[in-house]
Amino acid sequence: MMKILESLIKLLPAKIVYAHCDIPCGIYDPHTAQLAAKTVLKMVQKINELPEEDKNNFVRIVMVKEEHAELCKKEILILWADYFKEEHLEKFPDLHNLIWQTTKLCSENKRTVDEVKANELIEAVNTIADIFEQTKK
Amino acid sequence: MQFFPFSRFTIHGNSMLPTLKPGQNVLIRCWFYQPKVGDIVVIKQNKRNIIKRIQKIQGYKYFVEGDNEKESTDSRTFGPIFKQEIVGKVVYVR
Repeated sequence: MMKILESLIKLLPAKIVYAHCDIPCGIYDPHTAQLAAKTVLKMVQKINELPEEDKNNFVRIVMVKEEHAELCKKEILILWADYFKEEHLEKFPDLHNLIWQTTKLCSENKRTVDEVKANELIEAVNTIADIFEQTKK
Repeated sequence: MQFFPFSRFTIHGNSMLPTLKPGQNVLIRCWFYQPKVGDIVVIKQNKRNIIKRIQKIQGYKYFVEGDNEKESTDSRTFGPIFKQEIVGKVVYVR
């Protein structure tokens, strides 16, 4: 029997089969989101410190705040959609809500120049990063 | 149903480590196959063949997972699969 199987495997043309993983899990990392959230706070502080007549820098700083709030949202959503699994939800039942509130905070930080909201975003992203670390243990 | 009762596949990817390594060849039996928990199966999904192990069978729902659970996209992500998506069972590895 083994001989037949051995001959078959030699003779038959090979097709590709994927031992599939979207992205190896080592690549998932909440660090980008954490850095983006910190950048949002820094930009809020810079806007508040900026002399009123410096219109060019004002626009540039707002742009960076906008981009990083969006990046933060995107990174959090990637972790949510691709990394976190049902077994993580069982351990952290508030995860869906936490992700939802965090992405809403990203949008709020786009709309406003508010240090309190920026700090809330950092805190929320750090909570997600803590959960991520715990799932790696 | 496949034209021939056996098919050969070459593994790409890490999700079945340590059982199946990338580059290895597997022989699949496609005919008269009744899926059982523990079987390694080839599944056709979106015109793409993937290879996983059956972890659980609940009625008509088949839950499949990679042996390398840290690097596998499987039923934990895409949910259960159905029997008609299973191409066949691994019967020989080389």
